[in-house]
Amino acid sequence: MKLRWPSVTRREFLNTLFTGWFIAFFAACIYPLLKFIYPNLEKEPDFVILNAKDFLEIPNNSTKPFPWGGKLGLIFKKDDGTIHALKGVCTHMECNIMYKPEERKFYCPCHKGYFDQDGKNISGPPPRPLEFFEVRIENEKLIVSKKGVKVEIPKG
Amino acid sequence: MRFQRVKKWVLERYDSEALRGLIKKKYVPSHKYEIFYYMGGLALFLFFIQFLTGFALALYYVPHPEQANKYVVDIVTKLNFGWLFRSLHHWGAQILIGVLFFHCFSTLLLKSYRKPRELLWITGTILLGISIFFGLSGYLLVWDERAFAAVRVATGGAGSIPIIGQYLKAFLRGGNDVTGETLARFYAFHVSILPFLTMILISLHVLLVQYHGLSVPLFLEGEKLRKVPFFPNVLYKDFMIWLFVLGVLVTISVLAPPEIGKKADPYAPTPEGIKPEWYFYFLFQTLKFFPGEIFGLSGETIAVSLITLAAIFFLAIPFFDRKSSRGEKSRTFTWVGVCYTVYFLVMTFLGFVT
Ligand code: FES
Repeated sequence: MKLRWPSVTRREFLNTLFTGWFIAFFAACIYPLLKFIYPNLEKEPDFVILNAKDFLEIPNNSTKPFPWGGKLGLIFKKDDGTIHALKGVCTHMECNIMYKPEERKFYCPCHKGYFDQDGKNISGPPPRPLEFFEVRIENEKLIVSKKGVKVEIPKG
Repeated sequence: MRFQRVKKWVLERYDSEALRGLIKKKYVPSHKYEIFYYMGGLALFLFFIQFLTGFALALYYVPHPEQANKYVVDIVTKLNFGWLFRSLHHWGAQILIGVLFFHCFSTLLLKSYRKPRELLWITGTILLGISIFFGLSGYLLVWDERAFAAVRVATGGAGSIPIIGQYLKAFLRGGNDVTGETLARFYAFHVSILPFLTMILISLHVLLVQYHGLSVPLFLEGEKLRKVPFFPNVLYKDFMIWLFVLGVLVTISVLAPPEIGKKADPYAPTPEGIKPEWYFYFLFQTLKFFPGEIFGLSGETIAVSLITLAAIFFLAIPFFDRKSSRGEKSRTFTWVGVCYTVYFLVMTFLGFVT
C-alpha cells in the first residue's frame, strides 16, 4: 500500500538520524576516554629483598627506611635487638611516620598520631594499627614480606 | 587623520553601534552596599593577572619529579625577574581566593542568588571550587616536602568519600600514591584543563550578569535607588580598586617571596607541623574534630561525607530558598548563610592560631 503522505517529515527524520549519530559517536568515545584517563594501578609488592648487611648493623631502638614499592618501609630494631619491618605510612591519611626513640613510639606529624612499638594506634586520629611485615634472613639477604606470603628464593 | 582612517576601516567591517548602545544603556544601582558589586570585577582582574604570570612561568617550568623543584629554584634565582613572577603568581592566587570567598559569602548573605540568578550562583560556586583546585595543583608543582604531604593528605581525604572515593583518589593521583604521575596530572590540570573550564565559566558568569544586571538586596527592593552609568562612573571606581590591589600585590610580592622547601622525597618522614594552604584550613580543622572511629565507622569517612553533603547543599541553596525567590524575607536562609560564613571564618581562624 502506498502512503499518501509520509508519517515523518523529512526534518524529523534527519533530526532523529543526527541525534542518534551524535549519541552513538560520543558513547563510543567515552568508554576509551574513561579507560585512558583512569590510571593503571600498580599493586603493592608482596615482598622485597634487601641486603642484610645494610640493615642488621643499625643501633638498637632505631629505624632505617627502605623502599616498599613506592612507599616508605621501615626496618626497626627494638631495644632487645630483634629486627622488625613495617610500612612507614600512617593509617589515618597516609602521611609518612617517624620513630621517636626517646618515647619509644612511632609518630605521625600530620595530625599527631601515635603508635606504640608494636604498631598499635595509641593516640590521635589513626584508626588502625600500623602494618608489620615478616622478616627473614637468608644468605645475607633480608626478606621482607607481607604476612602470610611465602617467599622462596632460588639458590645461587 | 591616520587614526580616523583606521577607525573607518574597522567600522566598515564591524559596526560597533550595537555594542556602544549596550555600554551606554548599562546602569548600575547605587546604594549603601554597593561595595560588594566590585568584588566580581576585582576577581576578574586578578584572574587576568594569574593568567599573565602563569603564561610567563609556564615558559620555563618542567613537571618532572627529578627536576621540578630545581626548575622552580632556577626560575627564581637565575632568570631575569623570575622571582617577581613567581611571587606575583603565588600572592595573586592567595588574594584571588580571598576575594572569591568574600564575593561568595556576600552573595550568600545578601541572597543575590535568588531567582532569576540561580545560574550565576552555580557558575560562581563552581568557579570557587575550581580556584581551590587551582591552588592545590599549583602548590604541588613546587614539588617540595610540604606540598607533597599536603597533596597526599588532600587526595587521601578525597578517597574517603563513600562509593566514588577510591576511584577519585586513583584518578587524582594517577596511581595508588602521590608520585611523578601525580605531578604530571596536576600540571595538566593546572595549565590546561582548569584554565579552559575557568574561561568558559567566567564567560557564562559575566554574560549572565550583563543579562540580569546587578542584584539589589531584598530589603532595598522597591525603594527608589539612584542609577549610575556603568561607563564611565562605575568603571573608574573599578579601576581605582584594581590599581590599589595591584599595588598591594606587588608590594607583598616584593617583600615576602614565598619559600621553596626541600625536594619532595616519598621515603622521607613527613616534616613536622605541616599545614595546608589557608583556604584548606576549614576542611583541615573539621577533620581534626572527628575521632578516628565512631561506632566502628572511620571518622574520616563520616567527616568527608558530611563535608560533601554540606557542599552540595551550598550549591543548591537557591533552589531550597523558595521564599527569597518570591521576594519574601527568609529567616531560615539568613541563618543558613550566617552559619556557613561563621563556620568558615572560625575554622580558618583556628587554623591560623593552632
Ligand atoms: S595522617 Fe597520620 S595522623 Fe593523620
